[in-house]
Amino acid sequence: MAIELGIVLDLPAADGDPAALVDLARQAESAGLDLVALRGEAGAEQGLDPWTTAVWLAGRTTRIPIGIAPDLNSPDPGGPGPAYPSVVAKAQQSLEVLAGTRFVTPDAGWVVAPPDAGAEHIRRLADAGAPVVVPARSAEDVRRIAGLVAKENRPAGRSAAVRARRRAGIDYDGVPASLADVAIEPGDPAYRRVTSTYLRGGSPGLVLRPRTSDEVADAVAFARRHRQVPLGLRSGGHGISGRSTNDGGLVIDVGALNGIEVLDAAQRLVRIGPGATWKQVAAALDPYGWALGSGDYGGVGVGGLATAGGIGYLSRRYGLTIDRLRAVELVLADGSRVRTSKQDHADLFWAVRGAGANFGVATAFEFEVSEVRQVGWAQLVLVSTDLEQSLRRYGELTSAAPRDTTVFLVTGRPRQGRSVIQLYAMVDQEDPEVIIERLTPFTELGALAQQQVVRTSYKDVMALAADVGPDGHQGMGEPVSRSAFLPALTGDVARDVTRLLRSGLVYFFELRSMGGAIADTPADETAFAHRTPAFQVTAMGADQSRLNAAWDGLGQHFDGLYLSFDTDLRPQRLGDAFPPRVLSRLRELKRRYDPDNLFRDNFNIDPRLTEEHTR
Amino acid sequence: MTDYGHDLLFGLFVTPSAQNAPRVLELAATADRAGLDLVTFQDHPYQPALLDTWTLLSYAAARTERVRLSGNVLSLPLRPPGVLARAAASLDILSAGRFELGIGAGAFWDGVAAMGGRRLTPSQGVDALREAIAVIRDLWDTDARGVVRHQGPHYPMTGAKRGPKPAHDIQVWVGAYKPRMLALTGAVGDGWLPTVEYLPDGVASLPGLNARIDEAATAAGRAPAAVRRLLNVMNVRFSPTSRGLLDGPPQQWVEQLADLALTHGVTAFLVGGDDHTIAERYAAEVAPAVRELVARERGR
Repeated sequence: MAIELGIVLDLPAADGDPAALVDLARQAESAGLDLVALRGEAGAEQGLDPWTTAVWLAGRTTRIPIGIAPDLNSPDPGGPGPAYPSVVAKAQQSLEVLAGTRFVTPDAGWVVAPPDAGAEHIRRLADAGAPVVVPARSAEDVRRIAGLVAKENRPAGRSAAVRARRRAGIDYDGVPASLADVAIEPGDPAYRRVTSTYLRGGSPGLVLRPRTSDEVADAVAFARRHRQVPLGLRSGGHGISGRSTNDGGLVIDVGALNGIEVLDAAQRLVRIGPGATWKQVAAALDPYGWALGSGDYGGVGVGGLATAGGIGYLSRRYGLTIDRLRAVELVLADGSRVRTSKQDHADLFWAVRGAGANFGVATAFEFEVSEVRQVGWAQLVLVSTDLEQSLRRYGELTSAAPRDTTVFLVTGRPRQGRSVIQLYAMVDQEDPEVIIERLTPFTELGALAQQQVVRTSYKDVMALAADVGPDGHQGMGEPVSRSAFLPALTGDVARDVTRLLRSGLVYFFELRSMGGAIADTPADETAFAHRTPAFQVTAMGADQSRLNAAWDGLGQHFDGLYLSFDTDLRPQRLGDAFPPRVLSRLRELKRRYDPDNLFRDNFNIDPRLTEEHTR
Repeated sequence: MTDYGHDLLFGLFVTPSAQNAPRVLELAATADRAGLDLVTFQDHPYQPALLDTWTLLSYAAARTERVRLSGNVLSLPLRPPGVLARAAASLDILSAGRFELGIGAGAFWDGVAAMGGRRLTPSQGVDALREAIAVIRDLWDTDARGVVRHQGPHYPMTGAKRGPKPAHDIQVWVGAYKPRMLALTGAVGDGWLPTVEYLPDGVASLPGLNARIDEAATAAGRAPAAVRRLLNVMNVRFSPTSRGLLDGPPQQWVEQLADLALTHGVTAFLVGGDDHTIAERYAAEVAPAVRELVARERGR
């Protein structure tokens, strides 16, 4: 067993020699020791402040973890009160930002050996599993202490400070060798770059980042041994219903599987990894004069969207993203790797197109993409004083629009009786006159405040999404979102939606027009069965239960929901996502392919339940 | 004309951004290398985007050799004086006398309350600060006998151990704008540290506010010169043409700063901008020239 060895220093009183403290810490660091612990001298006069000294030592060294004995934190009983716990916690986070994970929290603990302890004594003390520290007063002491345990018996991996941040219930030492060099745990420097997703904050216990499908299988095997902690699957990190981060659980991040490869140019067959973003896909296809419809934002990852549906700017023309799929490669819960298509594992191929998150980790997708040259692209901002009328008219115009024209509407809470309506429109036509002709009717929805109409490429529209910076996503908290499919945007719908928006419960409201090619695919062809609605509608708010109450009140207008955009965890939502026959077929497949319910993060179809539970 | 005759200090007023932590540390290192006198950091513990200023001060002090450091200003409501006194003395000892204590009564009470601090009225806040300064100085005073006792009401102590003793006479600089805070500054402060952008009439406010401090100092039996006048200027840049205070060519900066020293008695200039180039040019092109000009004028 590796022995972690360090020194313990007495926090000097004011008349002590602080420079000597730094010298000893530096000597310990250069001798390759694993910890500098600070302790107080009983009965001494008021010594240096422990935290300030620990930070100072961290600043004057580069690597070695610094610890503070717990008794040093007890306040002077006659003094004017201790530091605020919230400020203490912030101080520790800040040191981590400044110096990396260097601070060993007092509760992580260490064993203090007597100053004259020999090698055998150290070995016995180390059996407790905690680092052993030996009092040091001189450079000579540090040299002698460093010689007590041979280098080869000292740990090569993460320091005590890093290990102290580990979460319960995760076998960190059992991470598969193939993933060990890219696994990130809470004390690692890269950790804060992987905790958040686009709209959500989190604190996962371990993020596994496989680079190949074999490594995905290894990650799934590791997850199988950790059924008691949450499991998230992350591609681009834009999931709303798919959490893809959690508190104290595992995340399998397939971001590194981001290849894009043309398999057959004649058939426009393209193989894409789940970790690519739609912006990257669009950029890779553009030189061929091709495009593959996705959603409304290029920063979204392929894996989450291509296993759920994909309602985007080209769906009315070419179908949902999943309608372009010809094959999906999956790692199943038992670790087996399968290729699914109409010919192979057709049942899984059906399930993965709409309910993929329940069945495995997709490692590659094969799409038949479309020939798309230049498109018309418009961003219009309109101000409406009669939102109800504007919504009704928008419904009429989109229903009458040809398949080449897709217009999404975004609005929020009306202010002083005025609604700001944003329209995002794509016209799959090259002729500017046709583009203008298609878009002109929509400019009547309100007073036109801003307009931008360009002839451009699908690639450039997807490129409007910002790149994720080196610090990763910065989401905080939990998004609150509801989704529904609208069979039609009737006058009653417009009235009730207007009332909802006036209530102020919804700050973001989006209508995505559907129809067209989406309905060309029979409902039983994919697990995504909602082929006939006119719109997908999303409402985001701040309070889940209040939004639920309001949204439930509109239920008579709705026919199901799009599972990507709904954060409501009540069991009835599963029945909204999947019509009864689809759900029972999915549940049968779930019993066969994931009987222990490993994949449960996103609209979980629990294999142990029956349909009664979701009615 | 008011010139209290202090030596001149040139420094930085830095945003302790967590996102840009490496840049924040580099700014401190630049100030140290370029020969600036002071690096100071804002303190808003309730701001998630900002670092803990105490930890940053301690870390930046450890990574520099010459430059002095201060909070600008530390938020008393979330930094109890007993903890602060010991931490400040410790940092002063560790850094061999490079720490000064910029402190304020607190202004963002919602933030303070959200972090678990007590919500005070502005008037209570002033009383708490006056009490805290007394507590801090008593804890530093290891030459006095016996334990430290204070009645409160804000920071009662029944018998606190003294020490540690700072390595030098740490200056207490007070962020003050309103009459009672200015009176406190004159009565017990070693310095006054406002931000020019927050003064009602900018530089034109200085004579009136200085007079209040002078008055309070005199009433407390102190010389007005016992209170150094410092000034933060947040929005600064070097530009080819003159646009305003510290917004123009270096020569304009020199004249403006010398005027602040000679006319208004301001002898420490802490500039914002969070920018290396500004810091370097400030140290190289402005500070020596201001020193020279002020020395010449003072020598007349």
